Amino acid sequence: MFELMMNGVAVIALWLAVEYCLKRQTAQSLEDASLIPFADDPEVARRVEMATGLKVKAVAPEEAKPGWINLDI
Amino acid sequence: MQDLSGRVAWHYFATVEAMTMSTATTGQAYNYKVVRQFIVATIVWGVVGMAMGVWIASQLVWPEMNLDLPWTTFGRLRPLHTSLVIFGFAGSAQFAASYYAVQRTCQVRLFSDKLAAFTFWGWQSVIVVMLVSLPLGYTTTKEYAEIEFTGAVWMTVVWVAYAIVFFTTVVQRKTKHIYVGNWFFGAFIVVIAMLHVVNHLSIPVDWFKSYPVYAGATDAMVQWWYGHNAVGFFLTTGFLGMMYYFVPKQVNRPVYSYRLSIVHFWALITLYIWAGPHHLHYTALPDWAQSLGMAMSLILLAPSWGGMINGMMTLSGAWHKLRTDPILRFLVLSLAFYGMSTFEGPMMAIKTVNALSHYTDWTIGHVHAGALGWVAMITFGAVYHMVPKVFGREQMHSTPLINTHFWLATIGTVLYIASMWVNGITQGLMWRAINDDGTLTYSFVEALQASHPGFVVRFVGGVFFLSGMLLMAYNVWRTVRVADVAMAEREAQIA
Repeated sequence: MFELMMNGVAVIALWLAVEYCLKRQTAQSLEDASLIPFADDPEVARRVEMATGLKVKAVAPEEAKPGWINLDI
Repeated sequence: MQDLSGRVAWHYFATVEAMTMSTATTGQAYNYKVVRQFIVATIVWGVVGMAMGVWIASQLVWPEMNLDLPWTTFGRLRPLHTSLVIFGFAGSAQFAASYYAVQRTCQVRLFSDKLAAFTFWGWQSVIVVMLVSLPLGYTTTKEYAEIEFTGAVWMTVVWVAYAIVFFTTVVQRKTKHIYVGNWFFGAFIVVIAMLHVVNHLSIPVDWFKSYPVYAGATDAMVQWWYGHNAVGFFLTTGFLGMMYYFVPKQVNRPVYSYRLSIVHFWALITLYIWAGPHHLHYTALPDWAQSLGMAMSLILLAPSWGGMINGMMTLSGAWHKLRTDPILRFLVLSLAFYGMSTFEGPMMAIKTVNALSHYTDWTIGHVHAGALGWVAMITFGAVYHMVPKVFGREQMHSTPLINTHFWLATIGTVLYIASMWVNGITQGLMWRAINDDGTLTYSFVEALQASHPGFVVRFVGGVFFLSGMLLMAYNVWRTVRVADVAMAEREAQIA
């Protein structure tokens, strides 16, 4: 009985976690997320766009600030 | 000749030094210095750790290779081999890949150059502690956790620093969404910290000797909860993070299903942690715990194959690239071996199958299907992808050498696992054979003699695999030797 309860709790936890992660996601937002690896690489982004027809929002990252900690305060 | 090689070595170190100096001080977009350092460490520990594996494989073929010295006996070198390849090779690879991918997917420089540098030198010192202490016989005797208390505490400090660098970088990200590869890296960091601390809880009696706080079956259960999840999180989850970044990048296609990758993540981390008891079938562990471990292991097949299929299907419409891109071949073959070993694992966790397979070479073959086929292959693919970018080259020094490495690694892996299957099933059947009067049909030594041909084939497979690793080291050396500092800086800027 204990094992069944534990298994049930595990399945419910899994379902809740997945639902929570996906609840605010749309097909477009998931597609945008899947294109993140190409977003900092304009050259590769162009190749991906040509191959898939998807639009990659490619941008070059900002310059880092000098110093031990780069947090914006 | 000696002068020439000396000048070449000087040039190499001068180039690496120039690149690491410039990257660290000019405030570029990405911190590639620590990535470069971990890539070099991956290759060094890969060569040393795999050479150690080939040496101990030769000891099982020719016992004289133990050299009649206490420091070089199989019992001491085997844990050294596993520690070097897991923590030295695979660990450094994951540091390199996670630092590289987290910066690029968060579009922000790694948090704190100094703390990142600390994680590099700290982690290397942990490996050196293993390299020295294990041959001397200092060991907790816990598999994959042999490093004694003092070293384990130091390892925890370094790991916490790693967690700070990684998660603070994620917090500082410029992107709205945290890419799924980083979820896997994050889970790997958090769960390994938990496993390491809980399994190493012990009472030290001096600097190099401690006793675990657990006893008997509890100690065994904690150890295999750790041991299985060392495989599950150190050798799987982090590498899945690698897969979710490097496979799409190498193919130039987004991951097949981002929704599936989220389901894959949660299912994997929910289930893996329960599977440890399958290492203790038919022992003093309560029967319900054994059955729970078996059930969870079987269910684990679903997320494992979900992830494998998600990775494979990323190649949809781009399969032709396998003809010309040996790096992609490494990545795809690693997924094939991942699928194979994650099918074999749940099968071996079934109690009746385990009654035949446990304590035999089948287990060693299964581990190496994952370690060589999955972990090492995806590492090779990721390193070949990263080296030109972080060292400022258009491509690796030699693509044919990558191709040769691919075939050496593939043949080596197949020889290894096939010989261990044959050996394992032979051993299992010989050990359980009983005469009509109830006595054992075969002695242990007879089973050992029957295993000898398999040991020879395994040794040959190991030599193949190590040869490929040496080719990789040479190829990386030649690529790095002519590294272009200006190009590396440009890559780090806009990448």
